[in-house]
Amino acid sequence: MNIQDFQIELFAAGEKAGFEEMELFYSSSKAVSIAVYHQEIDDYTIMEEGGVSFRGLFQGKMGYSYAERIAADSIPLLLEEALNNAEVIEVDDGEDLFEGSPEYAEPRPFSEEIEQLDPEKMIQAAMEIERIAYETDERVAFVQYSYASQGVNETLIANTKGLHCHSKSAYTSLGLYLTAQDGESTATGGESDFTIKSFADLDNRKIAEKAVQEAVSKLHASSIASGTYPIIFRYDTATELIGSLLGQLSAESVQQGYTKLKGKLNEQIVGENISFVDDPLMKDTITYAPFDSEGFATRKKDLIRNGKLISFMHNRKTAKKDGVESTGNAVKGGFRSTVGVGPYNLYLEPGTSSLDDMIVDSDKAILIVELQGTNAGINYTAGDFSLAAIGFLIENGKITRTLDQFTVAGNVFELLNDVSVIGNDLRFRSAISLPSLKVNGLQVSGNQTIE
Amino acid sequence: MIQKSVAENVIQAALETGGDFAELFIEDKRNSTISMIGGVVERALAGRDYGVGIRILKGEYSVYAFTSDDSEENLLQVARSAAQAIRSNPIDVTLNFQKKIIENKHHIRILPNSVSKKQKVEWLRRAHLSAMSFDPVIAQTTATFIDTLKDICIVNSEGLFVEDRRAYNRMGISVIAESGNDRESADFGPGSFGGLEYMEQLDIEGIAKEAARSAKTILFADHAPSGNFPVVIDNEFGGVIFHEACGHGLESHAVARKASIFADKLGEYVASPLVTAYDDGTIPNAWGSLNIDDEGMATQRNLLIENGILKGYLIDKLGSRKMNMDPTGSGRRESYKYAPTSRMNNTFIAAGQSTPEEIIANTELGIFAKYMDGGSVNPTTSDYNFSVSEGYMIRDGKIAEPIKGAAIIGKGIDTLKKIDMVGNNLGLGVGMCGASSGTVPVTVGQPMIRVSELTIGGRGGNS
Repeated sequence: MNIQDFQIELFAAGEKAGFEEMELFYSSSKAVSIAVYHQEIDDYTIMEEGGVSFRGLFQGKMGYSYAERIAADSIPLLLEEALNNAEVIEVDDGEDLFEGSPEYAEPRPFSEEIEQLDPEKMIQAAMEIERIAYETDERVAFVQYSYASQGVNETLIANTKGLHCHSKSAYTSLGLYLTAQDGESTATGGESDFTIKSFADLDNRKIAEKAVQEAVSKLHASSIASGTYPIIFRYDTATELIGSLLGQLSAESVQQGYTKLKGKLNEQIVGENISFVDDPLMKDTITYAPFDSEGFATRKKDLIRNGKLISFMHNRKTAKKDGVESTGNAVKGGFRSTVGVGPYNLYLEPGTSSLDDMIVDSDKAILIVELQGTNAGINYTAGDFSLAAIGFLIENGKITRTLDQFTVAGNVFELLNDVSVIGNDLRFRSAISLPSLKVNGLQVSGNQTIE
Repeated sequence: MIQKSVAENVIQAALETGGDFAELFIEDKRNSTISMIGGVVERALAGRDYGVGIRILKGEYSVYAFTSDDSEENLLQVARSAAQAIRSNPIDVTLNFQKKIIENKHHIRILPNSVSKKQKVEWLRRAHLSAMSFDPVIAQTTATFIDTLKDICIVNSEGLFVEDRRAYNRMGISVIAESGNDRESADFGPGSFGGLEYMEQLDIEGIAKEAARSAKTILFADHAPSGNFPVVIDNEFGGVIFHEACGHGLESHAVARKASIFADKLGEYVASPLVTAYDDGTIPNAWGSLNIDDEGMATQRNLLIENGILKGYLIDKLGSRKMNMDPTGSGRRESYKYAPTSRMNNTFIAAGQSTPEEIIANTELGIFAKYMDGGSVNPTTSDYNFSVSEGYMIRDGKIAEPIKGAAIIGKGIDTLKKIDMVGNNLGLGVGMCGASSGTVPVTVGQPMIRVSELTIGGRGGNS
């Protein structure tokens, strides 16, 4: 059954069942992922998934349901579950469906070349990066896996108030993860890259060499004496740490009492050198989106400007509660999820220093290139963190030693008040991106007694 | 869940290009979630997941494909396109399915969908009211109830044809305590592998109050110090230290490629002689138990470490081929969307001789880790970490002031060898474990243990 026919039958049956308004959210993805080990195909996965979620207004309350099968026998289940769920909802927030924005930016670009990508090319690329990795450095003990993947995602949001938003996108990625060994010392490292344009854009050599460099550089690490050190977070660790707390800028977290930022609009909340912008309409980013998960037109906006809190991210429900307009930040993790709030392309405005400049300009500092345990070591309510890390000791402008078995601890809000240098190495790779950052002082814990 | 003739045709198609093993994993899952925020039901969601995973093996190589369209025509097409990844001479396979009836050791008395949503909302409300009434500093609660009923069917070219029914239910309660500009939260999530009879006997009020007490304690706690200390880790979820420091390193997908510090160490000392540890998927109705694993093999009680000596690994079918060792009933996957791999079920350090009181009294200056959040590990280097949500300083053999926000880090074998006291109060804790075959329910467990020295990373500086 195709999705258009399914929509017509579903809405007709729903009307009979007494739903006043109805919406369908359809998403599907097809992907192929190939892993190579010792120049042979080790794993070959073909993914095909999709499904619909339904929401319907029944006696003023919104009920949700979902199903994977796009087939006639799913329709009664979707309606019955939504009805049951609507009956237990107690919050009366006047949730309604959206008729659509007056206009939308141009649709996401779609690469047919990637959609048609020959798996043989992917296998060859995965084999090549494995080969290059072994050739690059004899300390590469083994490549744990090298892979290539390709996928196509499709989304449709349609409702009985006239909304009809459709998008389709394709991506391909290539990466590897390897173990380096030198004597008794073992370290791991990886690298991956992706593109939404052409498979040929991926630079096999660069990816393989970067992974090797990452693993080899972590060899012969030791711990450090506990104390307060200036810290440089490389762009990836800066994104991982600070990005994980930007959910605090969601109006949903604010309204549910999960953030310290409640009531702080237009106040100075972090240092004046900090500006966060969400721009879903930036060309060539993987997160480009003309409409959000409610079909609301997206736009570029400041969330924090020169340290001052300008706006929270809103979907239609949170906006209504706060008496403002949606910022186009409705997100839905997939057809199973309910609508939440989140960023599309949220970034920290970059500075002018390169990471090398930041190293050269440091008398003594720790450069952090890997954080571990971010699944548990960050306290989202208070902003406190304490995480295991891997990095390098910098003395007199030079890297002098590799470090592991230490932790770095602090508070993200305090950290953003204490940023001394912002890097120029912003890379847009996901919904949140930060450049490298230098922070004046954070607590480090290690097991060496003297430094 | 699938006709024998259809299964047979699909498996034959999967083996057309020379695969030596093919398997179908059919899953039909009903899921329901209700969330209450601040005493008001905000979200209720329910749905059905259905699909088929097709796996083909050729020696040590694996091909996996899945689809949510179970028509014979589509299954044949998916099986054939997966088979294209294997190019070899077809082997003559005679299929002779014998439907195997398994004994259900994990009883489900009350099915999730036989209880009204109103009743489930009532459970959430009791948790909310109990937490709120604990203390005026309690500012907010989020309570969530999730139940799942999952029917699976596994068919393979070795003649296996087996079905299993699995029910899970879990209540999550998250409590926020607030004072001035400070906010802290505590999260609890008791759950059961079984029916909703679990909820009827659960002390909902007691758990909600404990979450409120923990949030309040953390709110007024000092930041943990940084440095190296003896660490006493409480029982139940404290077992996360063994799960990270050792458990993941015993999984065959890491061991077979020597990507684990525990590879080639069977029969060697990898822990203090005080440590004996098991992974036991057979404990009745325990959160990480199963009748059969996701490859259709009965789960078993696997001895991992005996008196400090490494005795066994956790091995799935593919791992068994790579390592030339028997599988251990440890092949698991989140859903039909994942190929199975070696995973833990209920993993725990066995009870020792010391009483908890003795362990604390014998520690002059140290850290007592009462409640833990999760952790992670790099099995290749064995660098692991986990977070302590509620902890205490131990001073002069007594539990002293509370501390918060501590990461504890170490290296696997080094830590296991430093376990110098093991308590007699074994308990299990409920968790979710994420890895390459998705997120699966596991329990971690241990009695109270002491590690003679670990690195604590808190914000509080030297203590």
